[in-house]
Amino acid sequence: MPHRLEISLKNELPDPLGQGVARKALDYFGIAIDTVRAVDILTIDADLSARQLESVRDDIFTNPVTQVSSYRPLSIPFDWLIWVGYRPGVRDNAGATAVEAIEDYLQIRFTEEQAVYTSRRFCLRAPDLSRDQADRIAGELLANDIIQQWQVFHRMDWNPEEGIGIRLPKVLLDHRPTVTPVAIDSDDRLRQISDERNLALNPQDIPTIRAYFLEPSVRKERRDVNLGDPTDVELEYLSQARSDHCNHNTFRGRFHYTDEETGLSETVDNLFRSFIEVPTLALQKQKPWVVSVLWDNAGVGRFDADTLYTITGETHNSPSNMEAYGGALTGIVGIYRDPMGTGKGSRLIMGSYGFCVGPRDYSGELKPRLHPRRLLDGVIEGVRDGGNKSGIPTVAGQTLFHPGYMGKCLVFVTAVGLMPALIKGKPADQKEIVPGDHVVMCGGRVGKDGIHGVTAASESFDEHTPAGHVQIGDPYTQKKMHDFLLEARDEGLVRFITDNGGGGLSSSVGESARFSNGVLVELDRVPLKYAGLDQWEIWVSESQERMTVAVAPEHIDRFLELSRKHAVESTVIGRYTDTGKLHILYEGETCAYVDLKLLTAGFPQWEFEARWLSPEHRGLCEPAMRPPVDHTRLLLDMLERPNICSKEWITRQYDHEVQGTSVVKPLLGPMRDVPGDAAVLRPRLDSRKGLAFAQALLPQYSAIDAYHMTACTMDEAVRRLIAVGADPAHMGGVDNFCWPDIQAHPETNPDGAFKAAQLVRSCRALKAICLSYGIPLLSGKDSMYVDGYLAGRYGEFHKVSALETLQFSAVSVVEDIEDCVTPDPKSPGDLLYVLGVTRNELGGSEYYERFGYIGKNVPQVRPESFLPLYRSLHHAMGRGLVESAHGVYRGGLAVHLAMVAMAGGLGLHADLTAVTVEGSPSEEQILYSESAGRFIVTIAPENRDAFEAAMAGHPVACVGRITEDDGFILRGVDETERVSTTVAELREVWKRPFGDLI
Amino acid sequence: MQEGSAVKDPRKEGGSASGVRALVLTGFGLNCDHETAHALRLAGASAERVHINALIDGSVSLERFQLLVFIGGFSWADDHGAGVIQAVRMKTRIGGELLDFIRSGNLVLGICNGFQTLVNIGLLPGFDGDYTSRRVALMANDCGNFRDQWVNLLVQGDSRCVFTSGMDRLELPIRHGEGKFTCEPGVLEKLSRNGQVVLRYERPDGEPAGGAFPFNPNGSLQDIAGICDATGRVFGLMPHPEAYLHWTNHPDWARWKSRLRRSGRTFPSEPTPGVRIFQNAVAYLSGEAGGSGSTAASAVGGD
Repeated sequence: MPHRLEISLKNELPDPLGQGVARKALDYFGIAIDTVRAVDILTIDADLSARQLESVRDDIFTNPVTQVSSYRPLSIPFDWLIWVGYRPGVRDNAGATAVEAIEDYLQIRFTEEQAVYTSRRFCLRAPDLSRDQADRIAGELLANDIIQQWQVFHRMDWNPEEGIGIRLPKVLLDHRPTVTPVAIDSDDRLRQISDERNLALNPQDIPTIRAYFLEPSVRKERRDVNLGDPTDVELEYLSQARSDHCNHNTFRGRFHYTDEETGLSETVDNLFRSFIEVPTLALQKQKPWVVSVLWDNAGVGRFDADTLYTITGETHNSPSNMEAYGGALTGIVGIYRDPMGTGKGSRLIMGSYGFCVGPRDYSGELKPRLHPRRLLDGVIEGVRDGGNKSGIPTVAGQTLFHPGYMGKCLVFVTAVGLMPALIKGKPADQKEIVPGDHVVMCGGRVGKDGIHGVTAASESFDEHTPAGHVQIGDPYTQKKMHDFLLEARDEGLVRFITDNGGGGLSSSVGESARFSNGVLVELDRVPLKYAGLDQWEIWVSESQERMTVAVAPEHIDRFLELSRKHAVESTVIGRYTDTGKLHILYEGETCAYVDLKLLTAGFPQWEFEARWLSPEHRGLCEPAMRPPVDHTRLLLDMLERPNICSKEWITRQYDHEVQGTSVVKPLLGPMRDVPGDAAVLRPRLDSRKGLAFAQALLPQYSAIDAYHMTACTMDEAVRRLIAVGADPAHMGGVDNFCWPDIQAHPETNPDGAFKAAQLVRSCRALKAICLSYGIPLLSGKDSMYVDGYLAGRYGEFHKVSALETLQFSAVSVVEDIEDCVTPDPKSPGDLLYVLGVTRNELGGSEYYERFGYIGKNVPQVRPESFLPLYRSLHHAMGRGLVESAHGVYRGGLAVHLAMVAMAGGLGLHADLTAVTVEGSPSEEQILYSESAGRFIVTIAPENRDAFEAAMAGHPVACVGRITEDDGFILRGVDETERVSTTVAELREVWKRPFGDLI
Repeated sequence: MQEGSAVKDPRKEGGSASGVRALVLTGFGLNCDHETAHALRLAGASAERVHINALIDGSVSLERFQLLVFIGGFSWADDHGAGVIQAVRMKTRIGGELLDFIRSGNLVLGICNGFQTLVNIGLLPGFDGDYTSRRVALMANDCGNFRDQWVNLLVQGDSRCVFTSGMDRLELPIRHGEGKFTCEPGVLEKLSRNGQVVLRYERPDGEPAGGAFPFNPNGSLQDIAGICDATGRVFGLMPHPEAYLHWTNHPDWARWKSRLRRSGRTFPSEPTPGVRIFQNAVAYLSGEAGGSGSTAASAVGGD
């Protein structure tokens, strides 16, 4: 019989959770609630005696100092009560740990049917609240219908004896697992089945798939294992493997690129090979620190003589757009499995995030599934719990608001790991599989969650997108697995390891089988969360926190013993072979039998029409403006803009110091509130060598030309590294493309060919900058369908597409962490320099955006002059000549001089006419142009000559000095004060928009 | 094996300068094990990272150690209150051994999740030799969220704590969602009277935080950041001393370095205040007196 335990804080104690709900209700909807108190509910669905129930209540679930609890409804006054619980099958992490605690404490074992379900009720004191308002708080603040259910009670409806009743979101599948053969008599028939089953098979692939299964020799082999037509297991496997998410068909596609202005056409075959693989392999030959690229779950670089680092990044856009918290949590926890599954496995040392969402205060007509404000809160919290609970510092991040992300938000997650160069004397970055090795699945169990995640990520979001692929990550289970696998690695027990991400076992086992050329899987051995899953579901489920490991037969006993010690579930589910076949059995019957080489041969390349229209051709031009007069007001307003202002509230929620490695922190200065240019870590606590990490996003420039968007984004990431003292000879990159759909369609995607041309141009810039700056691409991913249909006011739907976006992450090393440089000026009297040339490049700038313009003169990267300057600056830093350094990024010189002043907490006087310029730009161009390649540095007066000598031949201008007072003065021609304010005022406005958030 | 383990560190081979052996608990979502072990080694102890299950199944015995460290992290995900399930497990499985360990004159340190665990086991406050009663709690921060921030701390002059011997003020980072120190008024009074309050949050200028956010980052009663038992040998604190291993961990280090260089001085090489907490433990266990009165922080000077 189930028992419902209610727990709440003692009446006299404040309830921060409830207060947070009241604060958000006011902030989100303007609804005032007097008080909110939360009651935690554990519904224990197990046969426990009265004594057992009482002891777990008393000894585990009730803190005698702060809490009260009862198996009867607690009496807490309310006007409205909102109960929120999970839907059946949604991962209930707290329920799972409750089971673990009860089992351990009572020394019992729950049966498969027994469980603990957590839920919560919120008691609202708000006499004037209407039912509609209560419903709104329930549905738009407390619960998300994709994963949760709720009920609203008025105090008059409440039965104090029954409370919320007994609610058991138990999954009951009265279903016998069945393998279904699929008729393939015609292409049309298979296409129809693909649609019905949501297989998302590409129409172009269908003839190839049919041809294979109709091949007489194949049919004969299949008859020998009692198979005829392809089974659903096989088609699901092919669907997963051929999805754009797994196979990167877009990036491997053929682009017919036409410049509409010149009429010149060319065919670009395979963006990945031409623009990523070619430059990276060329650079790998020149740079011995590049250890392993382009094939494993993450790229590998050399940190020092006996240590390697691993790095990768990806996005989790579609799930986050549906369920922000669960999507982002699953995203960050998922990216952490990639370094764990690289080489023989690495220990995670840092993570970072990038959020692109609609305006936080959006009040327009479109109705996104989640309001951007709620969505942002959710993704912030998801990455918070995923990172913090994994014990991995979240050291960097960026948040960008733009209406284009209302259709689908972007959630970038990046991870870095560390591993010894050698494991038991063998290179840690290499792995192999020997036929006969066991296939072991470690970590979580398999359920219906996460089915068809990769195919959903390969589609635009609309009202029919299946919700089942949204999951809740479980960092606790994964952390245990992480610790276990590192111990197993160091004992030499891991031959091969890879993660279960998109596509689940289908991808991890299917891809790893290529290393031995075959695999035999016994699907009935896979541990399930609940019975009743079809074979194909077990095979493609994306249930989280799982790794697939190849373990040699002589090591399997020790491997499983270590797994038990760490309380991690590991199961042998098959063995690797050299038969050339993916062979899947279920209770002894074959349900899949496919040649592995089917995937590497014969499928047609995707084709794209790409038509480029230059900005001039599209009618873009510079706006006609007369110059502003009140420059002080203008700068203050710029600092308040959402993409410029302080987002300290996000940063502080992330543990950026766990592991004790922090050197350059995300927030700096005497007030510890100004973002650093890059993060620097000391990953080996016994060494003074550092690892530097930076990332950049400048999608606004895509409105003019994605080529320059890409080049500027990469240049910004590089300058961020240079600014902290990182080595320009060792820079690795991670490219994360997020693009709207590029397959042109006259009705649904009329400008698809232009977006395709933007992608080609972006890739060209990627290659050009990689080669000129010497940046091998250690890793990268693409997410190609950043579009959504949003309901409007009249029942119509609008397609909303994101800007063409590239997040570029860059990693480097610092020989001695004590030589790192930070952006804060150190002493009054120090000289202020601007390095680099300021040009008439306001196109796509924050300044133009302020007035609703795009402009045309987008900033351009000039590696031939930039890189030598970066090298000289690095050299000067190494000699201790540079007191502070900060790049000039979004918002231009005015904004970043303000950042420097705030970072130092000191005054700053500068003469704008001293800034090195090209041509004769106007004052507002000097102040707000976002020309690339620039830095603001401060130099001690006694080092002036040495610094200028070190920078000889570069555009270097001493423009002012740092002052003891709090004044922030920028002078124009004739010494007139263009901007005159105080650092205190700058800080106040810069922190105003989000300053109240915690 | 650690990254770079090809370079042999004699301190990892079991021996240590002081002969003090420390056990760092790991597993079940705990996560500050590497840096805590490193801090202990810097302080002259040998440190072993031991899985909670290895201690429970007896494959590792507490008897070999003099210092037991409950570390930070999210044990059992902190789903049912921070440190709660870890405390239940330790208490029910090896509660007796823990009491013997303390009564034998050894030291116990609980940091963040470890502090939460100590109060939930009842090892703190440990009034009148009772190491099993829950008298104090660390509940959700008043600000309602997890927070990472450096705090200023005042070491209470009348504290009996051996870990903070000879220290007066220090800065350390806090990183928690549940750090609000709470108890009944009588308990609070007794803690103060017994010299069991060890650390209080204060303002950077040395004035009491007085409950004001963010100086007191979580709303702790009387700004309490750490307490010890009546013997001073069991110590729990919310801030993370093991995250201040090196001067470059401090948010202001680059400014300090610039000023030192310009006044002709070099960057400090002496141990950080974070490491000194571990050194004090090692000194106590190896029979040495506590550390010197001034922390190196005062040598470089704040802003």
